[in-house]
Amino acid sequence: MDSTDGEPTVVVDDVSRRFEVPVSRPSGRGLRSKVARVVRGGSTVTVHALRSVSFVAHAGETIGIVGTNGSGKSTLLRMIAGLDAPSRGRVLARSQPMLLGVSAALQPELSGAENARLGLLALGFSPARVTGTLPRVFEIAGIGDAVYRPMSTYSSGMGARLRFAIAAAAEPDILLLDEVLSTGDAASAQRAEARMTEIRARAGTVFLVSHAAQTIEEMCTRALWIHEGTLIQDGEASATARAYRWWAWNVAKGEHDTAADLLRETTEARRGVAESASEAAAVITTMGRLTHA
Amino acid sequence: MGQRPTLSSYLRQLWRRRHFITAEARAKAFSGNRDMLLGNLWLIGVPILQGLAYYLIFGLILRTSRGIENFTGFLLVGIFLFRFTMASLQQGIVVMSQNRGMTSAFSFPRAAVPLSVLLRETLSMLPVLATLVLLLLTVPPGTQVTWTWALFPLVFGLQVLFNTGIIMYTARLGSALPDLRHVVAFVGRMWFYMSGVFFSLDRFVSEGVWLSVLQANPLYMVLDMSRDLLLYDTVPDTSSWLFLSLWAVITPLLGFWYFWQGEETYGQH
Repeated sequence: MDSTDGEPTVVVDDVSRRFEVPVSRPSGRGLRSKVARVVRGGSTVTVHALRSVSFVAHAGETIGIVGTNGSGKSTLLRMIAGLDAPSRGRVLARSQPMLLGVSAALQPELSGAENARLGLLALGFSPARVTGTLPRVFEIAGIGDAVYRPMSTYSSGMGARLRFAIAAAAEPDILLLDEVLSTGDAASAQRAEARMTEIRARAGTVFLVSHAAQTIEEMCTRALWIHEGTLIQDGEASATARAYRWWAWNVAKGEHDTAADLLRETTEARRGVAESASEAAAVITTMGRLTHA
Repeated sequence: MGQRPTLSSYLRQLWRRRHFITAEARAKAFSGNRDMLLGNLWLIGVPILQGLAYYLIFGLILRTSRGIENFTGFLLVGIFLFRFTMASLQQGIVVMSQNRGMTSAFSFPRAAVPLSVLLRETLSMLPVLATLVLLLLTVPPGTQVTWTWALFPLVFGLQVLFNTGIIMYTARLGSALPDLRHVVAFVGRMWFYMSGVFFSLDRFVSEGVWLSVLQANPLYMVLDMSRDLLLYDTVPDTSSWLFLSLWAVITPLLGFWYFWQGEETYGQH
């Protein structure tokens, strides 16, 4: 299915994730539903965020993940990062992946520099290595003396740059980017691209979630299209991203029949999906050396 | 990924985060009152005001002080030390939700979060203990420094261990059931009255099952033993040491095990 056959870095095998979500009624019976949830587990609906997703990521790949809002992209990244556990299936990774999302506020009352230090220590760095790495964090972040101000005073772009700098300076093998590039200005997008190239050069893997299919087309070697929790296409970035863009364009223009036809056609074709699933199943039985974090 | 590591690998990972735990505790110690005029003076100001209130009501008006030698000292030790365990209880309930920023950004053994809060509370206790000593020496009737004071750090150490267990339990409970935030104040109040902070238990309960139950309360033991050592120049008997030590060993072990069991649930929203 793909030509870049580096060593497997991440294996996602038949992963599903269900959430039990409490239903809040408009009549404001919040307390009752909460009590119900605690006492008898009622008043909830099950949301299938991911359904039997399987694929293998290889060293040197940059994998884009496209899909509409709520299709399960971020959930998938959180699974790979180990921040959330799958309801079914397994995720294996060669080393601890580093997830970078837009939401993490770290510790607003502490300065950027303190946050960077604590973040690196939380990742398991020794104090000596932190001291050595901090200047590089500041350099990558490029926000000047603002690193000594409390993070609560940062703009969202500055916060994102600092978090990205911490992640990049930690030199992870596997970097997961969740809509990170969309918040920054042009300069930070360029910095981000440079770091991604570095990671790929080190034979690592980068995952990039975005609903801007053009970004995926430009920066990735491979792309996955996830629709309502199901992997419906897996293949070369330009092919997948273009298929997604064409569908999304039709949805946006109100061409619902065309869009539905496209979606049905894609779902039925399952381009690359079965191959990925069998590869994942094969890899998971043979790869004892992937760390089972 | 996302699966709970084995206990031994969890402990190993946690050990690698020891610098994180201390750095986090130090960065946040003494920062709780930053936006107040008197700042960290409130760390000691609040227990002093509390002591004053209880002294007025129970010492002067209701006279629970009758039969208690050095009631001011008795009250001061009770209030200052009780607050330490109470803080662990209250912090534990909210610790996982308050630190979601860190836990959703970085993956590390989650036990590092409550442990760093415990360390922070322990560090905050140091100026409080210094104030306690100062007050004991100066406020009449005054207390003499005796050699039994040297044993007090042991009791304090046992209290720290016991609090470690408390914070591990409440961290998981509070993360699973945020409603407990309201219950914990009630539990704390009950515990306060059952620990004999401002009265002597044996004045009201003289015998039977209740006395044994109340005296098995680890916090009562901490207060009772501390008073013996600091105020009454008495070495607590061996059984007190033994029972408190049991509490101080078993509670954190079970608490840690209980917290670890829930490891994969803390990242969920």
